[in-house]
Order: sequence, then structure tokens, then C-alpha cells
Amino acid sequence: MVNGQAWMVLTPLATLLGAAILTPIIASAAKRVKPGGGKAVDVFAILGFTAALYTLYRLYLQVYYSGPISMVLDPYLPVKGGVELHVDIFSVYMAMLFCGLGLLASIYSAKYMEGDTGLEYYYLLLLTLVAGMIGVAFAGDFFNLFVSWELMCISSYALVSFRKYRWEPVEAGFKYLMMSSVGSLIILYGISLLYGLTGTVNFRLIRIGLDSIAEKGVPSSLYFLVAFIIAGFGVTASIVPFHTWLPDAHPAAPSPISAMLSGVVIKAGVYGLARSLFTLFNPAAFDYGTVILAFAALTMTVANFTALLQRDIKRLLAYSSIANIGYITAGLGIAAYTLSHYYSVDPGLALRVALLAASGSLFHIFNHAIGKGLLFLCSGCFAHETGTRDISRLEGVGRRMFLTGTSFSLGLFSLAGVPPLSGFWSKLFIILAGLSIAGDGALYTVVAILIFNSILSAAYYLWLMQRIMLRKPTGVAAEAVEAPGSMVIPIIILAALSVIVGLAPGGMITLMEYVGKAMMGGW
Amino acid sequence: MASTAYFAASMALALLGLYALLTSRNMIRAIIGLEVMTSAVNLNILAMGSGEGGVDPLAQSMAFTSIVIGAAVAALALSLVIYAYRHYGSIDLRRLRRLRW
Repeated sequence: MVNGQAWMVLTPLATLLGAAILTPIIASAAKRVKPGGGKAVDVFAILGFTAALYTLYRLYLQVYYSGPISMVLDPYLPVKGGVELHVDIFSVYMAMLFCGLGLLASIYSAKYMEGDTGLEYYYLLLLTLVAGMIGVAFAGDFFNLFVSWELMCISSYALVSFRKYRWEPVEAGFKYLMMSSVGSLIILYGISLLYGLTGTVNFRLIRIGLDSIAEKGVPSSLYFLVAFIIAGFGVTASIVPFHTWLPDAHPAAPSPISAMLSGVVIKAGVYGLARSLFTLFNPAAFDYGTVILAFAALTMTVANFTALLQRDIKRLLAYSSIANIGYITAGLGIAAYTLSHYYSVDPGLALRVALLAASGSLFHIFNHAIGKGLLFLCSGCFAHETGTRDISRLEGVGRRMFLTGTSFSLGLFSLAGVPPLSGFWSKLFIILAGLSIAGDGALYTVVAILIFNSILSAAYYLWLMQRIMLRKPTGVAAEAVEAPGSMVIPIIILAALSVIVGLAPGGMITLMEYVGKAMMGGW
Repeated sequence: MASTAYFAASMALALLGLYALLTSRNMIRAIIGLEVMTSAVNLNILAMGSGEGGVDPLAQSMAFTSIVIGAAVAALALSLVIYAYRHYGSIDLRRLRRLRW
């Protein structure tokens, strides 16, 4: 039953959804007071995100000091397991990332979206997007996960095609909708098969059911379910054969939404993948690590080579997002691979390596969220001031927009893995984990591919930085001026975060170990 | 067994829907393909939940939720078709090739 503490789980969701419902009402009230409504909705959305972030922080303290919180709603008792919200440190960590970037995106939007109409719907969708993602992170069963997942997906389709008076968002939005809906249906199909197999949708009970099946040897038909989960979540996580919506959707969306999509929405896909694989399928019994490693190697290689061909700054960043998803899934794959291949040989070593890989990959989720959020917001500033996204016309614009340009370079350096910045640590962890089991050919191959890709991506990051910051500005770039203050503030916050975390990674690394344990330890 | 037949039917329906989605040149037909897939998944949920005493309430509520969500997705997709028609004067998917697919 529900006790007092368990209601805390609902507070962030209730805050965001409540704010979403109130946004159009506030807008129409503000329009009566003042024509156009002024900045009322923007301020209201920012307040909503701040309140939600505060409730998440309370929840984080609770979970950090006294363990996971579970809230079971069982209105119809014959159902096994009931509907459950289960919050552990992994959920709270991802939820804080989602909500924090949502807050920065809404601050940024106040100025960036000034010229657009229908802003109340824009903020409504942004709030429901973040609420859906937090619901995905908090879900303790597939019913909640699916409903939150679709809330997130529908909001993001609408946000991608928000500027519907132009052809590009409509076309990209339609493509995104079609591909991602098929992905969601594949997930639902997998859920229905798991439900048919175990008679429940609750994660914990499915795990018990699958473990009892796997005791007598894993039937190969169960890998069919693993394939459903990887393919379904892989569409949103943009793992390489399922990635083609991303390079169209990210440039077409308004820049704060690109930052949200690239920074956190695809991470929700990674979360769903990691949560459902590691929680449902015991990694020591099932061997899905090899498949994930193969997909990861393919993802980073294809994305990095395609990125070299891009002329549009946001398209280039979108491809680099796919490459970073490759690094993150490589970390997850190393964790699953070592557990399934070495747990029976040397449990201590396997657990240590898996934890190192998992915490590296979770740390990289954080680094990529702030780094790529920063880069998309900066490219939004460039586009806002010059009216173009073409790299050759943006040459030297960083000299005219000093704060934005410097932050942009910091973001590029962080993602390239230049040592004092935060991106260095997470890649180091993943590589170290991959090298710590002596003489394993598969892991060594993946690490070699990862290092090669890191160097390749560092090369085009530096090339991009050199063109944006060091060339002599001409044309539109020469006339650019610094972006307005409310657009620069979120950028500076993100840049400062990547420097601070990079210089003092200790606290973050300790946190990542807890998060990694929560991810692998099941429930 | 009855549920095996339903399972086979839902698999066939899902593949038909996917085929329609991938091959049709008409945006509305592609959406219909998506809807056929949604129905296939709903059928599978109900088939998996059916037992001696009828269908499990959990399966029923999941299928209902999925129907509602499918309607929302279809509405959004059709509204995008309207805007695509305003931009291109056509709902032929081959005309929507300005982005590199």
C-alpha cells in the first residue's frame, strides 16, 4: 500500500503535468491583461521546471540516503504485481538530467522563440516531454513505461514539427513520427510477448519468471525478446540501422528542442534499453553483450564517417550525437559481455570490470547531455544572429560572439575528450574497462574501434572549432553580435559544468558507481 | 489452441502493416499501415492475456490504452499530412525527398 514517503515519487510528475495543464490558462489570462501576453508563459514554464527540479532534488536526497522508493497502485487486485513506480538512484539521476536540461532549454527559449506564435503550446509540449521522460525513468512496470514513453514520443514529434509553416520541420517530423512509432510498436509487441510468457508486466516479477525459465538453460527463443527490445528502444536511442530519423529531425527542430532531443530524449532510449535488458534478463545467464558491442561498433563508425561529409552545423552535431550513443552503448555492451562471459570464471573481476564500464557509460550520458546540449544551444545562437547553419558561411563567427564561441569550443573539447574536461574521464573509464580483461579478442577489437573513432571525431571537432573560432569572419558572420543575455546564460552554465566536473570528477565518479550498481543490480 | 491462432494472426497482421508502411507512396496509406500494426499489437496483447476465465483485466486495460495512444499518434500524423499537402501540393511520399533519406 501507499505510505507517506512513497507519495514523494509522484511530486515531480505532478508538478510538470500540472504546470503543463495550467500553461494555456495562464497564457489566455495574460492575453487579457496585455496584448500578446508578454513573457507570462515563459516565466511560468521556467518556474514549473524549477519547482520540478527542486522536488527531484528532495527525492534524490531521500533515495541516496535511504535506498529505492517504490509506490504500488493496486486498484484492481487480481492483477499480479500491480502498477508500480519504482525509483532508485539510476532513475533519479536520469530524471535530474532530463529536468535540468529542460529548465535550461526553457530559459533559452524565452528569447529564441520570441518571434513564434502558439508559445503556450510550445511550453506545454516541452513540459509534457520532460514529464514523459521522468515517467519512463520512474516506471517500475511496462504499463507505466509504455504510457510515459508515448507521452514523450508524441510531445517530441509535435515539437520537431513545431514550425509547421516551413517544409523542413514537417517533412522531418513525419519521418520521425513514422520511424519512432514503429519502434514503439515493436517495444509494445515485445512487452506483450513478455506478458504472455510470465503473466505480468512488473519488472521484478518478470525477472523472477525469466530466471526460473533460464535455470534449465536459456531457450534460444528468448533472444527473440532481446531482439525486440534492442530494435524498439534502438530507434529512439538511434543505434545505427535505426538512426536515419535523427539527422533530419535534429536540424529541423528549433534549437532548444534539438538540444533536448540530442541531450536527453535519445538518452531516454538508452535508459529504456539498459533498464529493460539489465533488469529483466540476468546478464550472467543471457549473452546479449556481444550483440550490443557489435551494434555499438557499427554505430560509432558509420556516424563518424558520415559526419565528415556534413556542411550544416546542426547536421554535423546530430551525427556526432549518434557516434556518442555508440560510445555509451559500447560501455553497456562491455558490462553485459564481461558479466555473461567471465562471471562463472571469476565473479569478482567480472563485477569490477562491469561496474567500471557501466559507470563510464553512465558518466558519458551526463557528459554528452551537457556537452551536446551546449553545442546545440550555441549553434542556435549562431543561427539566431546570422540566419544560417552553413559552416562555410559561419566561419569566424566565434570571434564576433566571444562568449558563445568560447563555450562552443569548450563543448567541442569536452566531447573530443581533451584531458581537463569532463568528456575525458568517461571515455577513459570505458576504454580502461575494455582493456582490463587480458586476452579477450572481442573487447580489444571494440576498444580499438572506439579509440580510432575518438581520434576521428576529435579531428573533426578541432576542424569545426578552427573554422568557427579562428578564421577571419566574412559576410553575415562579420556582422554578427553577441546573442542576448538570457540565451547566453544557459550556455555559460553548461560550459561551467563541464569544466567543473572535469577538474573535480571525484564526487561524480562516486555517484556514478552507485548509479552503475543500481543499473546492474536489478531491484 | 485458440491463442496460438491469434498469435499467428497478429504476427501476420504486423508484417502486413509493416509492408504497407514501407512500400506505399501515399502518406495516408502509410499511416493506415501504422494503424494496422497497432491493431496487430493490440490483438497480440489480448491473445496473450486470454485464459480460462476470459481475458485478464490487465491485458484489457493495456489494449485500451494502446488504442487511445494509437489514435493520438494517427491524429498528429494526419495533421502533418495536411501541412505537407500545403507545402508540396501532394501527399506522394516520393515528393518528400528534399531531406536526404
